[in-house]
Amino acid sequence: MSTSPLTGDPTHDPSDDQTGRVVIQPNGRPRPLSPHLQTWRWHVTMTASILFRVTIGAASVGAIFVLVWLAALASGPEAYGQFLACAGSVLGLLIGFGLTVVLVSFLLNGGRHLFNDLGRGLDLKTANLLSNIAVWGPIPLAVLFWIGLFATGRVSL
Amino acid sequence: MSGAAKFKNGVKISERHGAREWLTEKIALAILMPLGVWGAISAYSLTGAGYEATAAWFGNALNAVLLAVAAVVFFLFASLAWKVIIEDYIHKPGTRTALVWLTNLICLVLAAASVFFIVRLALGSAPLPAGV
Repeated sequence: MSTSPLTGDPTHDPSDDQTGRVVIQPNGRPRPLSPHLQTWRWHVTMTASILFRVTIGAASVGAIFVLVWLAALASGPEAYGQFLACAGSVLGLLIGFGLTVVLVSFLLNGGRHLFNDLGRGLDLKTANLLSNIAVWGPIPLAVLFWIGLFATGRVSL
Repeated sequence: MSGAAKFKNGVKISERHGAREWLTEKIALAILMPLGVWGAISAYSLTGAGYEATAAWFGNALNAVLLAVAAVVFFLFASLAWKVIIEDYIHKPGTRTALVWLTNLICLVLAAASVFFIVRLALGSAPLPAGV
């Protein structure tokens, strides 16, 4: 028999728990969640895992920027000219750089995730290597991308 | 997730479709990998291009089809990924279900809007708002 409190228990009703420490089982009984981040010593694989979620969130916002680009282009030369003026401003370029980081991060971290999903690369050494690439790789690659854009005159300040 | 569990051949239905959802998410992510590399290359080549050159890029059916596929698969992936994230952090059943449906709806609308614009650009339709 479980001794955990039932829903409706006035002393500590867990049904409206928003702290994430308690989860309601399908049979209606509350169950504490297993220990989470605060319990474990920091490891780069954790950073990679968390960053992938952050990346998906950022990529969702990035997709909206792509949609704005499509909408501007579909609205003719005048609207597209206004869009290009915004994109070419300092803020626009910063957003562009951010989107590049997000795209590279999505590819590297997504690749790591898929590789691990196949049951490969889960030994400590490989997992660390893949996670480090996924965490740190996007910055130099995005910088390289933008050095290329500036060097070939596609973008200028 | 309330109510009696439904069974099929002695296995809970929820335990059956969970694996398919996971697999769908992985397949979508796998499709997005090469499309993402192509997207980065395309973004690089289109940066600094004007209206004419960018519109001409959409005139190439391959570009339009790849971009439309990328948009649809991305928003499919995003809806599944957001579902997982929401299910992890929102524990109130009503709020959780509402948020999952809301993100699904947003992803559907964004995917439909993307395809709408891409098709118009690929066909060289008149600039929006057209026919006013």
